[in-house]
Amino acid sequence: MGNSVFSVPVYFILFRETTEAAVIVSVLLSFLSQVLADDHRMRKRLSRQVWAGTALGLIISIIIGATFIVVWNKYGKNLWANSEGIWVGVFSLVAVVMITVMGLAMLRTTQIQEKWKVKLSKAMDEEADRGLGNSSRRYALFILPLITVLREGLEAIVFIGGVTFTTESKSIPLAVVLGMISGFIVGYIIYRGGNKMNLHRFFTASTCLLLLLAAGLVARAVAAFESYVWGKLTNAQSDDGGTYDPRYNVWALTCCDPKNNDLGGWQLFNALFGWSNIGSIGSVVCYIGYWLIVIGVLVFMKLKRRRIARANALLAVHESSNNSSGDKQSLELEDEKKIPVGETIQGDVVREDHPVELKHL
Amino acid sequence: MLVAPVKALAFLLGLSAAAHAAVVTYNWNITYVNTNPDGLMDRRVIGINGQFPPPAINVTLNDTLVINVVNQISEPTTLHAHGLFQTGNNQMDGPSMVTQCPIPPGSNFTYTIPIQQYGTYWIHGHNKGHYVDGLRAPFIIHNPAEVYHYDEEYTLGFADWYHDEHAVLLDEYLSIFNPSGAEPVPKSALINQMLNTQYSFEPGKVYRLRIINMSALAMFHIHIDGHDMDIIEVDGVDVTRTSVKTFPISAAQRYSVLVTARNTTSNNFLIHGDMDPEMFDTVPDTLQMNITGTIIYDATSPLAPTELIDWGEFDDAALLTPVIPMATSPADDQISLTASFQVMDDYINKATFNDITYVAPKVPTLYTAVSMGNLSSDPQVYGTYSHPWVLKHNSWVEIIINNNDAGNHPFHLHGHVFQVVGRGEGVYDGSTPYTYFNTTNPLRRDTVLVRSLQNVAIRFQANNPGVWFLHCHIEWHLQAGLATTIVEAPEAMAGILTVDQTHFDHCKALGLPSSGNAAGNQGLDLTGQNVGPNLLPGKFTTKGIVALFFTVLSAVVGLGTVVWYAQDEELVLGKEDRR
Repeated sequence: MGNSVFSVPVYFILFRETTEAAVIVSVLLSFLSQVLADDHRMRKRLSRQVWAGTALGLIISIIIGATFIVVWNKYGKNLWANSEGIWVGVFSLVAVVMITVMGLAMLRTTQIQEKWKVKLSKAMDEEADRGLGNSSRRYALFILPLITVLREGLEAIVFIGGVTFTTESKSIPLAVVLGMISGFIVGYIIYRGGNKMNLHRFFTASTCLLLLLAAGLVARAVAAFESYVWGKLTNAQSDDGGTYDPRYNVWALTCCDPKNNDLGGWQLFNALFGWSNIGSIGSVVCYIGYWLIVIGVLVFMKLKRRRIARANALLAVHESSNNSSGDKQSLELEDEKKIPVGETIQGDVVREDHPVELKHL
Repeated sequence: MLVAPVKALAFLLGLSAAAHAAVVTYNWNITYVNTNPDGLMDRRVIGINGQFPPPAINVTLNDTLVINVVNQISEPTTLHAHGLFQTGNNQMDGPSMVTQCPIPPGSNFTYTIPIQQYGTYWIHGHNKGHYVDGLRAPFIIHNPAEVYHYDEEYTLGFADWYHDEHAVLLDEYLSIFNPSGAEPVPKSALINQMLNTQYSFEPGKVYRLRIINMSALAMFHIHIDGHDMDIIEVDGVDVTRTSVKTFPISAAQRYSVLVTARNTTSNNFLIHGDMDPEMFDTVPDTLQMNITGTIIYDATSPLAPTELIDWGEFDDAALLTPVIPMATSPADDQISLTASFQVMDDYINKATFNDITYVAPKVPTLYTAVSMGNLSSDPQVYGTYSHPWVLKHNSWVEIIINNNDAGNHPFHLHGHVFQVVGRGEGVYDGSTPYTYFNTTNPLRRDTVLVRSLQNVAIRFQANNPGVWFLHCHIEWHLQAGLATTIVEAPEAMAGILTVDQTHFDHCKALGLPSSGNAAGNQGLDLTGQNVGPNLLPGKFTTKGIVALFFTVLSAVVGLGTVVWYAQDEELVLGKEDRR
């Protein structure tokens, strides 16, 4: 998948997770500079807590991550005898799912900041409500980034594990480093209030690339399965390459072979788009099927969002006319979903509750 | 039917100086026999007169051989006397659909062959793979005035042996599930289609061992514990006595060696035939790659231990020189044949000469040649897939055979011995002059091994009007189409060859035409000829283009949907920025 030196999916995984972690930290620091504008000493102390928590979370993530990946690549792979085409196929499909999820999630990267502002303010409110002891509050700003970074890190590790089963280990480190660097940069840009429109376009393009990769991986996984079955049928001693089941073949070109090392371009085509000079019915149908599923999911998600947005709009109109009453009301929609006022809707359009402290962030 | 024996009689009466010139008759009913030659598996084989192995044929120079064949198996069959020139007698050569229609089951056919040469030959079935099922035997022609002196002689016919019938194995070999063209691996090896052969040696005597390889596939390395061998004959050609410790022999080749018996009877010794693993796609652990015969000096003596031997390199043309010299001539015609294997558009791995795989015509090529009059010199009448080459009478012909395959192939030309005039690396493309051997007396033989990715140059004079098959003698490869047809001097055939009515009767009995072009038609109209598979196009076909179109379309629509989905965000962001 991708190069043998640079794994594209791993890059994007680290990129996204680092971006999210960077945004979280930046939100915390902004919060501090906002609230403790006058108390420098307190601000400095708490800022250090934030950085300390972030750094510790990062170190632990990297240690766990590196260990897991080394062990996984060395021993986990052998458990499934990964030279068998059938296991290559299975784990490629696992990678497809992960990359697709990652790609679709990436479309909402620009909302990360809003999401975390809201979460943070909620967390603050909850603490105020619960009236926790001093100790936990004192170290809240150490624990929160620690846990957040750890969580993002472990998420990344799981994704990497799933995605790198069929790749070479040496393609991972460079992608990790570059992904993290890119993530820091973008997180910083978001913190500085960069042009969200460009960022959004960038992430949209990234998602397109990731989905193309995933679709190509589907084709390659199916081809791996078919090659395994054909090898069994023909008692092949080794990976014959170049022979295929003629009953299910749609094209067989003498040119353009991605396994031919002399023509690097076709190797790239294979890595990016799943291209092969031997096309089977199975790989073509599954490739098209993948895109149909993605289209279906996107259409479904968008229509759902529109419905909810419409509901919110109605709610806003309703609310403005009821502003003085301050009652919590709910609105019933056609599909019986209750959307109480004051709650955020899962992951979609965010309703702001106008928390006072964070208004100017 | 009477013409052949009458002709033979006239021929005999014409000879005055011959020591003895007899008519030697064999009555051969070709029958099935059930037996277990290698002690590992009972199976049905093809034998003669209910006996297996078939008996050897022994005749002397200037005899006339008559074989009365009755076909009592369930498939049409023929017999080919391998290495016999059949001068003026091409219709008795035997390859099915080349010089005759095969003999239908229940019918009979008489092969009448004037013996005008001497040496070690063999006779075998030449339709389908009958010889692999056992229809093969040594064919020894004695010379009353042998060049070399020896006291006694033995014949050792080495062969590989299978447990399944050839037709069964052929189905597996020529199948879409065998795209790599892996040949079936034999189950064992035999000498004279038996085990435990013994040869009695007396001290002080000199023995001639006539060694034949009658295999479908295997190459044997021959060596004798405790004895050297002096090669004296190659494919019926006497050569200068050359001492070797071991030599390889490929399918269909023959060598005679002189072995001098030891002075004592204190030990018995083994004659080894070791199969070369290079010829087999895989070598199972259970396969016994060696067959031995025992030289018995004294029945009570112990067996001497087996010697380790290094097979080394063996170049027959470089090592051996014919006793009777024959200078070579520059060629009037040069034919270039490049042998290779690939999956064809019937999805079966087939063999090709110059990208054409051999498919037998509807009419035996010889019958076409004798029935087409002036058109017999036009190669078109013989059909595309019989891959014909028309040679002019008495012209010198050079054939360069390029082996563009990973395997070694023994190529055999019927009706001739040819001179081996050069060997080279790779495919000879004619861009540089060919480097021939520097000799005035090149080796002559009828079956030459061309190793993988090498070429060989052979020369002969087209002085034997007839249709002569040129093919790889690995039976699997012949079935896969590694063959071509030499139509030699068709203009002279009518005056020399007599094709009698039994030939045409057999075609009729099989529902095949017996005259006309390769399609059985007149003139150059070849509609209906037997066609073979062709090379795969290797390009996009219509269904490929359609499939690719929809693949790309789905990706484009998918990406478009992603952009469409992300658009709302932009609107939201736009609103936020303005706030």
